[in-house]
Amino acid sequence: MQHIAERYTGASVRRSEDPRILTGSGRYVDDVRLPGMLHAAFVRSPVAHARITRIDVREAAKAPGVVLVLTGEELERSLVPGPGIAAMFSGGAPVPAFTTLATGKVRVVGDPVVLVVAESRYLAEDACELVEVDYEELPAVMTPQAARDPASPAIFEDLGSNVLVRSPVAVFGDVDGAFARADRIVRADLRQHRHQNAPMECRGVVCSFDPESGELTVHSATQGVHIVRTTLSTALGLPPEKVRVLAGDIGGSFGLKLGAYREDVACAAASRQLSRPVRWMEDRLENLTFSGQAREESFEVAAAVTNEGEILGLRVKMTIDTGAYPGMGTMLPELVKTMIPGPYKIGALSFEWTAVVTNKAAYVAYRGPWASETWVRERMVDLIAMELGMEPIQVRLRNVATRETPPRRMVTGRSLAGVTAKESLEAIASTVDLPSFRRLQAGAREHGRYLGLGMATYIEPAPGPLEGKGGGGIMGPEQIRLRLAEDGTVTLFTSQMPHGQSHQTTFAQIAADEFGVPIEQVRVVVGDSDLVPMGFGTGGSRAATMAGGASLHGARALKARVKEIASHLFEAGAEDIELSGGSVAVRGVPASAMSLAELARAARSPGRLPPSLAGDVEVTAAFDGGEGGWSGGSHAAIVEVDVETGQVRVERYVVAEDCGILINPAIVEGQVRGGVAQGIGAVLLERSVYDEETGQYLSSTFMDYVLATACEIPRIEIEHLETVPLDADVNFRGVGEGGMIIAPPTLCNAIEDALSPFGARVLEQHLPPARILELIGAIPAG
Amino acid sequence: MKPPPFDYSAPDTLEEALFLLGEAGDEARPLAGGQSLVPLLSLRLARPSRLVDLAGITTLTTLGAADGHLAVGAMVRERQAERDERVRRLAPVLADALPLIGHPAIRSRGTIGGSLSHADPAAELPAVALVLEAELVAESRARGRRSIPAADFFTGYFTTALAPDELLTTLRVPSSAPGTGWAVDEVARRHGDFAIVGAAAMVRLDTSTGRIDEARVALAGVGDTPVRLAETEQMLAGAEPADEAFADAAEDAATRLSPAADVHGSAAYRRHVAGVLARRTLKLAAQRAREAA
Repeated sequence: MQHIAERYTGASVRRSEDPRILTGSGRYVDDVRLPGMLHAAFVRSPVAHARITRIDVREAAKAPGVVLVLTGEELERSLVPGPGIAAMFSGGAPVPAFTTLATGKVRVVGDPVVLVVAESRYLAEDACELVEVDYEELPAVMTPQAARDPASPAIFEDLGSNVLVRSPVAVFGDVDGAFARADRIVRADLRQHRHQNAPMECRGVVCSFDPESGELTVHSATQGVHIVRTTLSTALGLPPEKVRVLAGDIGGSFGLKLGAYREDVACAAASRQLSRPVRWMEDRLENLTFSGQAREESFEVAAAVTNEGEILGLRVKMTIDTGAYPGMGTMLPELVKTMIPGPYKIGALSFEWTAVVTNKAAYVAYRGPWASETWVRERMVDLIAMELGMEPIQVRLRNVATRETPPRRMVTGRSLAGVTAKESLEAIASTVDLPSFRRLQAGAREHGRYLGLGMATYIEPAPGPLEGKGGGGIMGPEQIRLRLAEDGTVTLFTSQMPHGQSHQTTFAQIAADEFGVPIEQVRVVVGDSDLVPMGFGTGGSRAATMAGGASLHGARALKARVKEIASHLFEAGAEDIELSGGSVAVRGVPASAMSLAELARAARSPGRLPPSLAGDVEVTAAFDGGEGGWSGGSHAAIVEVDVETGQVRVERYVVAEDCGILINPAIVEGQVRGGVAQGIGAVLLERSVYDEETGQYLSSTFMDYVLATACEIPRIEIEHLETVPLDADVNFRGVGEGGMIIAPPTLCNAIEDALSPFGARVLEQHLPPARILELIGAIPAG
Repeated sequence: MKPPPFDYSAPDTLEEALFLLGEAGDEARPLAGGQSLVPLLSLRLARPSRLVDLAGITTLTTLGAADGHLAVGAMVRERQAERDERVRRLAPVLADALPLIGHPAIRSRGTIGGSLSHADPAAELPAVALVLEAELVAESRARGRRSIPAADFFTGYFTTALAPDELLTTLRVPSSAPGTGWAVDEVARRHGDFAIVGAAAMVRLDTSTGRIDEARVALAGVGDTPVRLAETEQMLAGAEPADEAFADAAEDAATRLSPAADVHGSAAYRRHVAGVLARRTLKLAAQRAREAA
């Protein structure tokens, strides 16, 4: 074992991705240029809900540079019907029938109706304008209330209703008893607004079908090459082995780029039909309007509490607006249900949910997709504190679970082993110095300045304690393949598909430490479905624990293999072989040292090793998360609200986070800051707005969908808690989603605190300036 | 998001540009910094048959002070004007307004003339031109050169008094008397966004009595054009520059406005904030006037 200070793991090693990306040398799907490549554009629906009564593509087909025009019915003839990617994320809910390009009817503004393939994107868009489509408009179903109305026209006829799922009531603990024992019931109807991923790089694909081999090569901006392969091979009726998916650098995703989308399927089919490469780069208008949106959920909550601030139980009814096409909207509520107690000792919960379809963009995964459980719970805690006249942190400290033996469980079942909510709450309270803040706040109010302090706490199953049952869910364990190359470098193949997470640095840190080579001698290969092990890709916080753990165990296995080979070559016992600094030697015999490059070459030389060891020096490893453990933490925000203009300024933002052992503190902090920035954006800036009458989308440019920029994000102070290892070897935990999960409640709590002299209650997550003035009664609600 | 086909010309002289614009009639559009027009082309919301790129016309890029006026060529980049000492000295409200436009990268391309001609009612420069009582010098082959007061220039939503064949060539800002103070402020969703509401104000104090000699206030984001608040200005003329006077005048002004709603704010919000910003800018302008006196 090396001394801790000499390890890469735990150090802010500079990202190996940086030179490439920061100098503009990254290779994104938009950089792919293939000989003979054609460009696709889509005719999209200008209306939210309508029957298609006529499509005339004759003029478009004759337009300059146009090579192919396909309607939905024409495209469908070359495809295998089925729900595609939708079924994978439906959580068992019914998946309605629909086609790759809309046929019969359109269900959302931006619905793709006709594919035009031309020699350039310009010519393709010119031709799109020549396609005539007649629509017979239907009433647009734009809200869950409208969707629940039995008189609303069914968006999917085969569903017969716009209510997709009405769950049974799940009961954990003695709910009736908790409410009977309560001193008070605190009720609130809470609304989370629709907002969206908006990655810097939009979706995109280049499909190239080779008629000679029958193979389809796909360059994709994706979070996982194998899901793209699976969905495309299924839709096109090709054997998976005939589809190769490649991904280069990815300009962000946040959950959007999972699997092949309808546009990708259309381009792949067009490439097969034309035997030429077909490229589609989503533009920002398409991205904001149609790619997917998230988070639109509402909750009716009742909390049973004692006068001392103990939370005895919760009753929760959740409604999720899944948009027009199936995405993740029916999978998430069960996760919200399981997680809503969080790190709290809440003893009883009843939970039921309804999922509806509406004429809006599909509900997709967005960084911490189940985050509403934290927002709802942490909002309720502050509302309870307000009702009882207590400091919110006192309610939190009274109710959070501390570590006990045996560990306490959430009322919904999961173990709270290793939870550090109390420690992180105490850390932020101490950093912001609550008593002195309250004095400052009181003084400022006398001068007409409104300061507020908000805190919130959360835990994240990244992966959570696994109690020997393994993680990864239906996606299974994470696999890694490692090879000792002939130049002595270790090549690590992973199905993780980094799109900002720096896996090429962090996995190399872990493997270099475990295997015993300088980090420069570890190369991490991603993004080729023919090379990397089968896997889900990046998502669900699989990388740190599962892929990081697989890297560790894989490197350990490779080291054992190398020692075994060396023991044959040196005719020494494997236990006497030392591996360090890139060479192997018999312990105590420095003269025996052989470089790893020599060893790799020797392994391939005829006759030097028994057949079981001869050849490539390669191992595979799988890791299911081991014992796992929670990620989590507590955040605090101090805001100032201008009660004349409604503008909110975040004065201070404090984080105490616990993701177990840090692989790379700089990368962890980058993840935390990025998540917090998106959370601040969600509350103050970002909203996907539809006209509820016409169904038109009103946030289709970056002038209307406003993202946080560096000007809006304060310096974020981060303290790391590295506590409570549960596993013998692997105690790194996912940290990508937490900031986005907890920043919204932190900020909402701070704003409500600032507005407390006005008696404002914050029941929604989106608080733009106009809404702030409505909440304090300065202007009428609009 | 690709523009429809168009012809492109890049003349070197104003004469050539005016000829091209005159020849094409209302099918042509001049291209200045492109910060608004290019996105409109990409969204296919603008479909000119010809773009006349003004970037090569060096006579439009001059900035100078003469005859007691500041003269800013239409193709002077916003970033250049913002850093110019003469702009700071002779038109401090313009110098203060420029950094509110977008970000440095945008202002390095965006031009003074482009922003004024585009006439976005939420933009900063049209409201500033109003409060400055600037003159906008235009030129065409058909009409020759003419000077249009800012008050007559902005005629509607993204619409100006310019004829299709006419180019804005110069912004002329008159000098201000001693004892004059200026202020500009805005509420935007983010720094650099178009204003939800913006306000620019001027207060000139009688140096002997200390009373308000003249007050001006113009708003962005509350109508189809930038709006000058004539009644408010009359209420303040001759008044003591006290906080209450500005508050009353601003409150009165807000009641006269009928702004439209959009995704960033309701009509009620805009009206409310218009009053707040009118009060804040008038008060700050008066304070600066006292300091300048």
